[in-house]
Amino acid sequence: MFEQLAGLLTHLGEKQIAVVSVGGFEIRFDIMALAMSWVVIFLLILLALVLRRGLRKPVEEKPTRTQAALDSLVGLLRGQLSDNFASERLATMMFPFISTLFLYVLFSNWLGVVPYMMSPTQDLNVTFGLALLVFFVSHVLAIRLNGPRRYFKGFLEPYAFMLPINLVGEIAKPLSHAFRLFGNILAGTILITVIMVKFAPVIVPPFLQIFFGLFFGGIQAFVFAILAVAYINVAVEG
Amino acid sequence: MQDAQAVAAGISGADIAEAAKYIAAGLCMGIGAIGSAIGEGIAAAHALDGMARQPEMQGALLRTMVLGQAITETTGIYSLLIAIVLLFVI
Repeated sequence: MFEQLAGLLTHLGEKQIAVVSVGGFEIRFDIMALAMSWVVIFLLILLALVLRRGLRKPVEEKPTRTQAALDSLVGLLRGQLSDNFASERLATMMFPFISTLFLYVLFSNWLGVVPYMMSPTQDLNVTFGLALLVFFVSHVLAIRLNGPRRYFKGFLEPYAFMLPINLVGEIAKPLSHAFRLFGNILAGTILITVIMVKFAPVIVPPFLQIFFGLFFGGIQAFVFAILAVAYINVAVEG
Repeated sequence: MQDAQAVAAGISGADIAEAAKYIAAGLCMGIGAIGSAIGEGIAAAHALDGMARQPEMQGALLRTMVLGQAITETTGIYSLLIAIVLLFVI
């Protein structure tokens, strides 16, 4: 058992890379992160299909238990995440996107607690992809809602010579967004693995998993979603 | 004196670089965590002040506090990344 654990530590930074060459270009895939992302996606789809069975189609006098639970859950997501948008219209429009982002990141973080599984969010490529998604959504939405003229004028405010600073600020947003999630999850994983291998292989790790895996994973998923809300808000309204 | 020379003869430049790597990673994390820790503490203290004064605002204060702390934490995360790069990559 101890050899296996020691293996965990030495293979911590290693990745299994699949190289596919398409027309002279090399495309590299991280197999583990890719597989774990698919696990999260299938889990979410499965959960949605199972929970959908508890719903009755016409709204009746007395909702089923599942329906009541889901109602309060969706209300919670709506109240905590989407109502931070500046306008009601934006909140209604972006609610599916933001809550999907939250659920995906939450399940990704929690997957690291399951033995033999790994959080896809401890791979920088995954978090960077999510951050870029938020970046493009916010800017496309700003152009569509405000018009290109007002959008490009926003870069020249408050003065025209502030343009480089505004540009750097826009580029820094997805960078810090991605690095924050990645750093937090990776730090938790490294800490748990080091303590498990070097100090206490029994009793202690489950508590660490609860604290770093479940609690911090939940907080970081919430922070990721609420920062996406803030960035979209600033891009559209600011 | 002779012992010191014997020990010094066995140490190569690579060993010194290896040791410097670990020292640098420790310093980077230790000093880098100071700022974000103080900042997060200040945020939590003031949010608690606000909650004690107006308990009905607790939900909104908590949410804003967590968001502010997450942004404050960024510098700490950057130093963590540099420490990881020093330990595992370089």
